[in-house]
Amino acid sequence: MIRGSSLTRIYGRGSVEVRALDGVDISIQKGEFVGITGASGSGKSTLLHLLGLLDRPTSGSLVIDGVEVASLNERQRTLFRLNRLGYVFQDYALVPELTAEENIYLPSKVRGMSAKECTLTCRDMLSLVGLRDRVSFLPGELSGGEQQRVAIARALINRPAILLADEPCANLDTRNSTLILELIRKLNKELNQTVVMVSHEEWHRKYFDRVIVMQDGKIIADGDSTQKTG
Amino acid sequence: MFEEEQVAFFLASRLITRGNKGTILLTVMIIAMVFVNLIFLPSIITGIVVLFNQQSIDYSYGNLVIEPKENQLVITNVGELLQKINRVPGIVASTPRYTSAATIVYKGKSTTPLLIAINPDDEKQVLKIHTKIISGNYLNDDDTGQILIGTTLAGNKDQKVDVTPTLGGVDVGKTVEVTFSNGVTRPYRIKGIIASSQFSVDASAFITRTDLESVLGTTDTANQIMVRTQKTGNENAMRITLMQYGIQEKIWTWQDKSADFLKSIVGSFDIINVISTIVSLVIAVVVIFIVIFINTVYRRKQIGILQAIGIDRAIIIKSYIFQALFIFASGTAAGCTLLFILLQYLTSSPLVFPGGPVAPVLEPMLLVRAIASLFVVSLIAGFLPSWLTTREDILSAIRG
Repeated sequence: MIRGSSLTRIYGRGSVEVRALDGVDISIQKGEFVGITGASGSGKSTLLHLLGLLDRPTSGSLVIDGVEVASLNERQRTLFRLNRLGYVFQDYALVPELTAEENIYLPSKVRGMSAKECTLTCRDMLSLVGLRDRVSFLPGELSGGEQQRVAIARALINRPAILLADEPCANLDTRNSTLILELIRKLNKELNQTVVMVSHEEWHRKYFDRVIVMQDGKIIADGDSTQKTG
Repeated sequence: MFEEEQVAFFLASRLITRGNKGTILLTVMIIAMVFVNLIFLPSIITGIVVLFNQQSIDYSYGNLVIEPKENQLVITNVGELLQKINRVPGIVASTPRYTSAATIVYKGKSTTPLLIAINPDDEKQVLKIHTKIISGNYLNDDDTGQILIGTTLAGNKDQKVDVTPTLGGVDVGKTVEVTFSNGVTRPYRIKGIIASSQFSVDASAFITRTDLESVLGTTDTANQIMVRTQKTGNENAMRITLMQYGIQEKIWTWQDKSADFLKSIVGSFDIINVISTIVSLVIAVVVIFIVIFINTVYRRKQIGILQAIGIDRAIIIKSYIFQALFIFASGTAAGCTLLFILLQYLTSSPLVFPGGPVAPVLEPMLLVRAIASLFVVSLIAGFLPSWLTTREDILSAIRG
């Protein structure tokens, strides 16, 4: 599903050069729920940005869903993100002027899905994330946890190969964080959805199949979530 | 097909209907004012030009002016020529004039205006001077010893208010002494005062042709024939027709005669108009640009996220262009309404200019040009800020 070799990302030039990722090799199989953890500045977000095609590696090779993504141009990368990746941000990132339903079906509209199809799929998604009764609510009328669930539904609307989540519980309390983690876990199990999630919370580990621990731009541990790492 | 446009339109419509309505309303009103400004001044200028044109036809030249042949000072056999002209299809009437210089004296005040000898009844068919008598009466064909004086020539009793040499406020019924170019002097009773708002008329004096011919000892001569045609605007065609009917004299259109005067007026107004148009369009560009720019900067993070979830940059740019076009369309519609009210008011209560009342004239091309130019500036003002904001790399935008 994902195969990255010698992934390196260097920011800046000359004396102020920062090696955010340093020759990372990574392989993720279909249906895995992988957690990436590590301290601030360890490179976990940089790795997720590369996997989400929001950034390009300085060197190395990255194959996602059988496609060498480093060779894609901007337009192809946008289409790849639309069709094969789902992205969940830590601050929900919903369009405040769109209702929950409209936020969710925006990516499917871009794919050219008919209005009827969009609505049906969108309602299914809202049911899946437990917000069937919040269809016409604006983001400002939803709680943080509900907004994040809408964001997850939006990420899944186009049935992506991989769901990428960048600290999706960072702005949520423990109760809502648990709800979100259980939801993602459920999606992973029931839909066999591949999930890669960045988190720095130790207690999130129990939800992951596999935990990758990063430090100074390198993977220092990679194993199942029951293993003691780092 | 057009999926991108549909999504962009969907986004734009939601941002407008659920966004800050106060800002949108204010922007629309500014664009409405800009639109009114783009149309109003040119329509007033057109109104002035139309007024001057109409006055040139009605009080100075008619549609066509016939003058003596090359190397001749006068037109002879005028009666025969008039008959020939009046038989031409499309000609309503024609009237001969003999224009000469003369000295007019009243109570020691002397001035040298243009003295125009006319056939009063023929003149009524061609020009409208007879409708502008403000005191006394118009001339009759058989009048002798009677003179019409323009109001500027008549002047005021308080000569300080006169800007040209005058007769110091002469009234109807008074007698002035007229000395002709051949030295003959005769007394003339003032029969009427003309106020046409045309300087060339109001600064002149009029007597009958019969009267002048008796003084000069000429018969059936004139140095101008004014011609009224059925339609205004086809003067060049009528000139050719007259030539085809054997008129060998020089034929001018009223446009030829007033060309220099009109050119200088229109030229000056055009400069004002261009400046006003540029200022209006710059205001429109700046206002729409600022509104869209602030909007995109404020939504920079959101734009980054939209790109991150696979919404193409082109869709985001188009959504802002649609918003700019909405502002343009609403502003133009509101501007049209304002303009309609303004034009209705000014048509019923025209502006009073020295040349007469001026009502704005709205030409379709002017409307098309204003709408097209506002459309183009809206496109630019919508495109540029969204293009600049979406150029930023996604991660920088998301990080804010």
